[in-house]
Amino acid sequence: MAAYIVRRLVWVIFLLFVVTLITFVVFTVLPAVDPALLRAGRQPTPQLIESIREALGLDEPAPIQFINYLGQILPFVGGDGVNFGYSYQSNTEVLPQILDRMPTTLFLTGGAVVLWLAIGIPIGMVSAVRTGSLLDRVLMGGALVAISAPVYFLGLVALYLFDDSIGRFPLLPGSGAYQQATSIFGKAEALIMPWCVLAAAFAAIYARFLRGNLIDTMQEDYIRTARAKGLSERRVTFRHGVRAAITPIVTLLGLDIGLLLGGAILTETVFNIQGIGRYAYDAIVRFDLPVVQGTVLFGAFFIVIMSLIVDILYAFVDPRVRY
Amino acid sequence: MTRSLKWALALCVLLVLPFAVAACGGDDDDGGTDEQATDQGTPAQGQKGGTLVSLWAGDVDFIDPGSTYYQMGTQIVRATQKTLYTPKIDDATIAEPDMAEADPEVAEDGCTVTVRIKTGVKFSPPVDREVTSADVKYAIERGFFNTVNNGYAGAYFGSVDGAEVGVDPGTEIPGIETPDDSTVVFNLKPAEGEDRCPGGVVAGALQMPLSAPVPKEYAAPHDEKNPSAYGQNQVATGPYMIENDASGKAIGYEAGRRIHLVRNPNWDESLDNDPAFVDEIDIRQGNDDPTVMSREIINGESMINGDQPPPPAVLKQLLTRDKDKLALVPSGGGRWISMNTTVEPFDDINVRKAVAAGMDREALRLTRGGEVVGDIPTHYIPPGLVGFEEAGGMEGFGVDFMANPKGDKNLSAEYFKEAGFESGKYEGGEELLMVGDNEGVGAQTAQVAAQQLEEMGFKVQLRQVTHDAMYTKFCNRPKADVALCPNVGWLKDFPDPQTYLDPTFNGNNILPQGNSNWSELDVPEINQAMADAALLTDPAERAEAWAEIDRMVTEQAPAIMWIWDKNSNIKSENVGGVVDEDNGLWSLSHTSVR
Repeated sequence: MAAYIVRRLVWVIFLLFVVTLITFVVFTVLPAVDPALLRAGRQPTPQLIESIREALGLDEPAPIQFINYLGQILPFVGGDGVNFGYSYQSNTEVLPQILDRMPTTLFLTGGAVVLWLAIGIPIGMVSAVRTGSLLDRVLMGGALVAISAPVYFLGLVALYLFDDSIGRFPLLPGSGAYQQATSIFGKAEALIMPWCVLAAAFAAIYARFLRGNLIDTMQEDYIRTARAKGLSERRVTFRHGVRAAITPIVTLLGLDIGLLLGGAILTETVFNIQGIGRYAYDAIVRFDLPVVQGTVLFGAFFIVIMSLIVDILYAFVDPRVRY
Repeated sequence: MTRSLKWALALCVLLVLPFAVAACGGDDDDGGTDEQATDQGTPAQGQKGGTLVSLWAGDVDFIDPGSTYYQMGTQIVRATQKTLYTPKIDDATIAEPDMAEADPEVAEDGCTVTVRIKTGVKFSPPVDREVTSADVKYAIERGFFNTVNNGYAGAYFGSVDGAEVGVDPGTEIPGIETPDDSTVVFNLKPAEGEDRCPGGVVAGALQMPLSAPVPKEYAAPHDEKNPSAYGQNQVATGPYMIENDASGKAIGYEAGRRIHLVRNPNWDESLDNDPAFVDEIDIRQGNDDPTVMSREIINGESMINGDQPPPPAVLKQLLTRDKDKLALVPSGGGRWISMNTTVEPFDDINVRKAVAAGMDREALRLTRGGEVVGDIPTHYIPPGLVGFEEAGGMEGFGVDFMANPKGDKNLSAEYFKEAGFESGKYEGGEELLMVGDNEGVGAQTAQVAAQQLEEMGFKVQLRQVTHDAMYTKFCNRPKADVALCPNVGWLKDFPDPQTYLDPTFNGNNILPQGNSNWSELDVPEINQAMADAALLTDPAERAEAWAEIDRMVTEQAPAIMWIWDKNSNIKSENVGGVVDEDNGLWSLSHTSVR
């Protein structure tokens, strides 16, 4: 197991390097806009543009820029610790901004995960146990609607219906409320709608996924044996069926958490939640390369790390898996 | 019908019902009305106290007053800094002394500009000392530092003796002298081949944020960093300051999220024109959806909008039901469709006049919301700018091809015939590249423009890209040879017509990158007229001279000027809103809450 973890960590570093390189190429070598010109204002003399290029390091050849960037972000190399550079837009340091927004994204992701597991897993189980019934059809039909509705659309509809300042049925704090909340309970209340919106599609996917797995699992020979031994149907389903069927969900969950920790861009944008996703979105729109690189690197890091954690957990959940 | 099918249908109805309820409540979306609303509160009246909340979509371009160039940054600077001069709140053509004690003294030859500053104005904590002339000198010098790189320092202060863009931090400009603690003297270099200097322009540029004093001993260490960190540690001289900690770090500036302004404890009301009614200003960013933002303001309390106007549907609702929550004010700018005079067939003035004559500009204006969002121009200098009245005001010069807002197809046909196209429409077969916005109202404007051009006989290749790419990769690069840019426009930098016409129509200002003379108009007589007008120091003479240039440019038809913008400002019921007529936005230091 230890050797496996070491091999995977080496692979993580390689993947992060590739992601950084691709991001750099997309935004530097194939730029849609010139960041120096964006920064220069409306009457840029050639001297001003040149001065800005030098200040931003854009006058160096692309490979040198990339090497300089790697030197900045690697600890013990740059001399200033880990430095993700400065935003072209606000001149603020990128890494502290990401870390500052991290708790927001963690809170949003964590709550959504709890919600979608709490909804998706019971629905999946009920549907699997009552396959073909009206209840099964209603639940799976609802899941299909939840999967089909884009997050952005659901979010806006939720605001128009339930936002306590503009909604038809003013119930819950709406856009921007998270920023204004000062207590943990206030922040949680402000996230109820975003949690529901974010969790809707995931809950539906997990429900359908678990339903399918559980139906297959309940056909297995050992399930028939368990029934033949006289175990109650509840015990057969939960103790033997669900336990086997839920294993692939661990993988899915890990990857989804990794993805969201990189920033739930659409949800954060609709509800004006200033997490990493929102930070990344603003940077992409403004071609703020240092921020884009920083947020992409962060997002990629969480995805690969969560993938590693999931694979390790698999060995504990599924006794057949050994490294 | 089987029972299960009935149940399925009932379920579908239940699932669809919430969406139908949401959709039924929506406003229809057919643009503006004939009515206009203004709610310009009297600047001097208002109740002291309270917190004003402003909802923005984006952030300032830069929080550093020495770097900021756009409207939102200027709005913050107007509340937190005392620039040497500032446009009068309800008449932007008048520059009032703010940090200065009196009007600038401009020498007859324009080669020196002397300003005396007020005594007794203090910096906010942690600097806590009186402002001197050396602070004004440093403020302008730092605009030239390569860690600050101010976008207009070179354009307006580049004539100061010794000024050079991109110098190392700490470099002094010998042409700025401070003979005593209250006096700043700008010594200018004469224009090439002239014995006069552009003192009139420099005096006008002292209204820009760059002239706000900066304490050198405090700012210099921050300016040494690349990029300068002064913005995140700035001090104030105005009625408000960005909330900071004991070390001066601006904790009230959370990039992209929030700007929190609090009262400057060292502000002296007797030395300021601003009443500064509210105690705090809370600028909340990230409000991307204009409908959600607008409804929050209209239904809420103590709120105003910032950088985003209400959408047309909400605007219509306000005009019919809530006029007192809306203020429509000229922005001091305009929008046009540029025709590249170096690209055939727009090198032919008759073709340009034909296009200008035939364009239905009301249809273009409708894409932004109709007549309430602006006036159809008759020349270039917009309302609110010096020179507007001298240029004929709303009536203009009477050029025939700008006379009919709906377009004059007959006149257009005549001009096409004069250009050699006997059919009365364009007959060339080549495809003309038009590059416009790919989203929002800009995209609609581009599409309407393209359609109208095709009706005139042109073959248009409309390429729609992001707004930034449109400028930096296409329209602002002469080498890109873009024939038409439908989404360009300009705002004055300060209320002098030179800031409007010079960057956009002076042939000597055609730049290889960042070019704003999108038409690449290069008429020697006009260029010379601009060079002469730039050297005038008397405001009345400047107004007349630039009005004449406006006429000359208008007669060249380099573009289809289709709107003099108005800003749509909205507020909550309990807000005593006052608009800054210079930038067309709510004035944070004049607006009050009840």
